[in-house]
Amino acid sequence: MKTTPPKRSLQFLRWFCREDYLEEIEGDLIEVFGREVEDSPSKAKWKFSWSVLKYFRPGFIRSFSNSNQFHPMGMYKSYFKIGWRNILRNKAFSAINISGLALGMACSLIIMLWVFDEKGIDAFHENNDNLYVVFHRAYYDGIIDGGYANPGLLAGELKEAYPEVKVATSMTLSNLYSFEANNKILKESGSFAGPDFFSVFSFPLLAGTKEHALKTTIDIAISRKMAEDFFGSVDAAYGQFIRYKNMKDMKISAVFENMPSNTSMEFDFLLNWDTFLEENDWTRNWGNNGVLCYLVLEDGTDREAFERKFRDFLNRHEDAQNENFKVKLALQKYREQYLNSKFENGEIAGGRVQYVNLFSIIAGFIVLIACINSMNLTTAYSMKRGKEIGVRKVVGAFRSALVSQFVGEAILTVLLAFALGLLIVFAALPVFNAITQKQIQIPIGQPYFWLSMGAASILLGFISGSYPALYQSGFNPLKALKGSLKFGSGALWFRKGLVVFQFALSIMLIVGTIVISKQVRYVQDAHLGYDRENLIYIQLEGDLGAKYKVFKDQGLGVNGVKTISRITDNPTRIANGTGGVEWEGKDPNSFLPLTYSAVDYDFIKTMGMEMESGRDFSPEFGSDSVGYIVNQEALKLFNYKDPIGMPLTLWDTKGTIIGVVKDFHFSSLHNNISPLLFRLSEGIEQGWVLVRIEPGKTKEALAGLEKISKELNPQFPFTYKFSDDEYQQLYNSEQVVTKLSNAFAFLAIFISCLGLLGLTMFTTEQRTKEIGIRKVLGASQISLFNLLSRELFILVSIAIVIASPLAWYVMNGWLQDYAYKIDITVWIFIVSGMLAVLIALVTISFQTLKALLTNPVKSFKSE
Amino acid sequence: MAQHSLGEFEELVLLMVAALHDEAYGVSILSGLEKELGKSLNVSAVHVALKRMEDKDFVKSRFGGITEDRGGRRKKYYVITALGKRVLDEQFALRNNIYNRIPKISFG
Repeated sequence: MKTTPPKRSLQFLRWFCREDYLEEIEGDLIEVFGREVEDSPSKAKWKFSWSVLKYFRPGFIRSFSNSNQFHPMGMYKSYFKIGWRNILRNKAFSAINISGLALGMACSLIIMLWVFDEKGIDAFHENNDNLYVVFHRAYYDGIIDGGYANPGLLAGELKEAYPEVKVATSMTLSNLYSFEANNKILKESGSFAGPDFFSVFSFPLLAGTKEHALKTTIDIAISRKMAEDFFGSVDAAYGQFIRYKNMKDMKISAVFENMPSNTSMEFDFLLNWDTFLEENDWTRNWGNNGVLCYLVLEDGTDREAFERKFRDFLNRHEDAQNENFKVKLALQKYREQYLNSKFENGEIAGGRVQYVNLFSIIAGFIVLIACINSMNLTTAYSMKRGKEIGVRKVVGAFRSALVSQFVGEAILTVLLAFALGLLIVFAALPVFNAITQKQIQIPIGQPYFWLSMGAASILLGFISGSYPALYQSGFNPLKALKGSLKFGSGALWFRKGLVVFQFALSIMLIVGTIVISKQVRYVQDAHLGYDRENLIYIQLEGDLGAKYKVFKDQGLGVNGVKTISRITDNPTRIANGTGGVEWEGKDPNSFLPLTYSAVDYDFIKTMGMEMESGRDFSPEFGSDSVGYIVNQEALKLFNYKDPIGMPLTLWDTKGTIIGVVKDFHFSSLHNNISPLLFRLSEGIEQGWVLVRIEPGKTKEALAGLEKISKELNPQFPFTYKFSDDEYQQLYNSEQVVTKLSNAFAFLAIFISCLGLLGLTMFTTEQRTKEIGIRKVLGASQISLFNLLSRELFILVSIAIVIASPLAWYVMNGWLQDYAYKIDITVWIFIVSGMLAVLIALVTISFQTLKALLTNPVKSFKSE
Repeated sequence: MAQHSLGEFEELVLLMVAALHDEAYGVSILSGLEKELGKSLNVSAVHVALKRMEDKDFVKSRFGGITEDRGGRRKKYYVITALGKRVLDEQFALRNNIYNRIPKISFG
């Protein structure tokens, strides 16, 4: 056997030696070795190794750092070119891939814009770091009740009592009032606020100063819109007088800019706080809550220490509480109030923020589905690029180079999709804004937007490109070149897993959509205990309050009017509570409030309510001014066996129960029906007129009523509301959510189906020959269809099994917000599942049918 | 002269390249030198000298044909350049000059 030079040394030499010297040196060494080996093989070997070592010196060692001395830019250019050609070559594949990604990105982008808009609400106030809203916790009957309503004098007294309070202001919820100036009478919506209002909140003033805007009882601050409506311009309005409720002339002491879209407050005018106290003497009583209170703490105040200090502030006022009814105050950052304003057991427990979070998650899901699509399609189609990968590897591409090439291609795809998605967002934003009543815009001018979008695109490219890149770069070049590349079981499982995941998400969204729409429909169609069709509300204003009796007498003569009554509160949302109700056998320690309102004769009849026992208020009985009507819930509280004629005391007025009305809903279905009491409203001149109209005669009735109103109350425009509209308004946010979740569920499913379509196109193409052979051998079309769709059916079934319990859990949580809610039945899941299967089958059937209907001869000729 | 420096061993290798004319490659130079000097050298020393002189443009190289006893590797042949020849001449002249100035005294 011929002795060969020592292998190790040779390898070592090849490893370190400059390539342009290597051949010569190797050749010479081997020649020398060949001569010497005949004398003594071992000495020759030793000498060979020694010589190799001697080459290990600077001039001969290759430079390791620049081992890839080729120009990288050239390579990137080639990657880009190849990537671009690939996109153009498989047009259907690229279209599906890019449009799926674009839709997903557009969808998420819109949601993210909405989320940021929501989070940015009320963020602009300069005092935000120290700006708080005061809320109270009432402890009674073993429960803790939280709320933002406070006594009318609280803000002023807190400012007096604590040096930590820099400024404080009260505010009421906004209300509609009639104003007259310049021979114009208009209804505007606004509030009362404390004199420091403009020091607490940063609403820019166009005229006037923030110190004097609301200083005296004749001051009024109005918005630019209101100034323009009445006087034509801001300058013309400033300093003018405007007549308020046809009662009092107010001096316009400030004009503020229209409310920006990123504020939770809505008002077109503000009136001085003392005006409010004059009109609403009851709020001076410390036991009555009804206004909001905001305060700004001095810089550097320890919030918790201050809260401990002022928590028992109401102890100073006997009216506010007693042994069994304790009220404690607390603070919430004003910025957080908009998104977190729901109370549970006296603690703030979310609110709108839940929708924000929910939609953020959905945005993530949709992007994920789109990424999975892209991953799945790219992996499937990578077969077609087997040869390219094989050649690249043979020529010497490192795996890392291949990975970066494919990830780069994915990023290119994502960037194209992003451009398309941006166009979609441009087109869809107006619709979205109309639904959500927002003015969201793409922040095109902001560098951070482009930066974050660029970063997001690259990240998405990485996510959707990573698996295909790792998978493809691992191809065996020999097999790839021979064309005998097959998906390993791992890749198949991965792809199936992705399809399952995608469909599970889609099914969850379908279930969610069904539950939300069912609940919203349930709420809309709910029997409320009164007839909300053909019922109108007219707010009592001006002289109408005093002339109510005349209005009623004349109104009843109008064609189409059935009955007329009156109530002090909007009957869709009665919210006044009082603890001042006494009955026989009442627990003296109980302070559970009863909801109450004052109504006129014929109330029950006009509302279309049903009596359980007793009767409606009626002028035929002279004693009705001390008669009360209660609902069934209240009766449960009283524990009277035969309630009619039993004694009941409201605020020290002793009276009797004359009727029990069947429970009806007087607030949104989020809340349980609570105990309620009606008294007769004789002598009260505010509130709402209720008119029951004969079906189909609304127009005549309204025309007649308007004529009467104009005569009796010429200073005020005749306005009215339909009871049904008022009720629907309670569920504005639900309706928005329904529309959005429908849209997003549809998009999620659509994107999933795009992916499925791409996959089916691929698999049927791969199996063209198989199908041809099967057909030639006599397979029926039905059995072939089964063959092609069975796998998908199994995958979707698995998705249903995974998604159902998750969807149930999430939606059950959502429904907990409602006191009155639908049951989540098995049917919802069955329907969702069937829907998913159906959609999937329809998606693939086009491709599958095409494959089935092709003449087998063609499929054989395909080479 | 500084840029045309030529070491002692380099000079020997250069002479051998010039002497072997068209047949100079690593092993032939090595065996030629070994024969002249009468001692064994390492081929790496020859290569180092050749590469240095190639950098200094004293020699130039080309690949020859494939031969069996080198495992299919080509030989690299070296020839002396005009510059190499001039440096060699100068070196020789310098030594000759100085040598000739040695007085003819007997070295007893």
